[in-house]
Amino acid sequence: MTKLRLTKSTSESLLYGFLGIIAFIIVWQLACLFTDFGKIFPTPLVSMRAFFLAFVKPIGRYTLLSHIAISLRRVLVGYALSSAAGVLIGLLMGYSKLAYAIIYPIFCIIRPIPGIAWIPLAILWIGIGESTIYFIIFMGGFSQMVMNTMDGAQNLNTELVGVAKVLGAQENQIFSKIVLPSTIPYIFTGLQTSLSTSWMAVLAAEMITAREGAGWLILAGMQTGRIENNVIGMISIGAVGLVLASLLRNLERRLCRWSVRSR
Amino acid sequence: MKAKTKYTIVSIVSLITFILLWELLSQTGLVPTRKLPAPSALLDTFLYKLANKNPDGGTLGTHIATSMQEALLGFFFGIVIGVPLGICMAWFKKFDQFFRPLFDLIKPIPPVGWVPIMITFFGIGIMSKVAVIFIASFIPATINAYSGIKQTKDVHMWVAQTFGAKNKQVLFTVAIPSAAPMIFTGARVALNGSWVSLVAAELIASTKGLGYMIQTARLVGRIDVVFVGVLVIGVFGAIMMSTLSYLERKFVKGGRR
Repeated sequence: MTKLRLTKSTSESLLYGFLGIIAFIIVWQLACLFTDFGKIFPTPLVSMRAFFLAFVKPIGRYTLLSHIAISLRRVLVGYALSSAAGVLIGLLMGYSKLAYAIIYPIFCIIRPIPGIAWIPLAILWIGIGESTIYFIIFMGGFSQMVMNTMDGAQNLNTELVGVAKVLGAQENQIFSKIVLPSTIPYIFTGLQTSLSTSWMAVLAAEMITAREGAGWLILAGMQTGRIENNVIGMISIGAVGLVLASLLRNLERRLCRWSVRSR
Repeated sequence: MKAKTKYTIVSIVSLITFILLWELLSQTGLVPTRKLPAPSALLDTFLYKLANKNPDGGTLGTHIATSMQEALLGFFFGIVIGVPLGICMAWFKKFDQFFRPLFDLIKPIPPVGWVPIMITFFGIGIMSKVAVIFIASFIPATINAYSGIKQTKDVHMWVAQTFGAKNKQVLFTVAIPSAAPMIFTGARVALNGSWVSLVAAELIASTKGLGYMIQTARLVGRIDVVFVGVLVIGVFGAIMMSTLSYLERKFVKGGRR
């Protein structure tokens, strides 16, 4: 009985979802045919064809997949660096009150500045190149990592620390057995948000300073008036972002089975 | 109490040391001023930019006003459309089934990715920025309103139904108020995203605004103006965020956590 109901509701939602997509495509097609929209925007069919062509035919210097691979490499390098630095500084500030008192006021100056706003400064400091893009992605995710990790280390269950102290645990044991594990769920929250900002930062950085990558693809589509490249770029960026986020969520579910936050 | 004052003093000393060190590094020429202008020079630039249009054709005030106008307009439309959409998707199943795939398609595309398309459609004026910011705030507003309504406690709804409330009454008197904290979280995420994508959009193509100011200053090599712009962007982002937190504290009663 339950099973029957379940399949019915899934097929129903599939049907409606399908209808939604179809309606969207029809509106797109009609808009292209009958309004000025069609003068600048390609029809769904043209976009689709361009999308599949892009896998084999290079746009600019690379094919679609290479553009994505380049962006992906940039994100992963910048993201890894910012996560590592963010966790270290966050733990330090969350655990030691003195470190918090020293670093936090200075950190407060940097924190509200969006990663993307660093682009002009980064170019003036480092010039145009890979390290500039890494720096921008780094700044994009850094403060979120610090804030989340710090939150985790500060929202510690003080009873656990008390128990450990009574049972004669050393300071470093408390840190590695209690502070670190209970911060991990917060770190994962930070990793999630910082991943999406990093992905956004790489796009902006590539639009402004690079000659390849998914961000460049989108911008070049605009500059050369080939909007279909624009659409292709957006679709692939969305898809890759989605894959990255769900990979991370799976990892979290594996690693933090005990935690309420990951459920 | 005493420990607290001690740490406050440490904080103040730390901040002062940081600024003094920065000033010293720049004044003594250890770090060239064209890479790192001294804080005192930045203050001068800031005061200069308040009244002067060099090098980018607008005073600091006009740039701030333009950026704020774009950000708040886009944010406003994003909330006004996103929140009701999220509520409807959570409350009416058909609605959800129809819009969900479309929404899922748009959701993972970072707002910055929309910048070129919006510029193609609306030109480099204010409309394209408003459109990008609309997307940046519309998505988190919808998602949070949706999950806020979905998290309404069944017990609360049963109570309302037992006392004879109609579907509409349950929605307006139970579900929406209990979703309010989540909706405000959505607004906070939305505002943050708006500010970030605004800066990106202005960097890429515009004729006014803070992002434009720092981009132009970079092109003419005025690093002091870039610094001032970046700091102002940070300060105004922080001001908007704390205004929103203030509103949240004022309007959402209880229900936190």
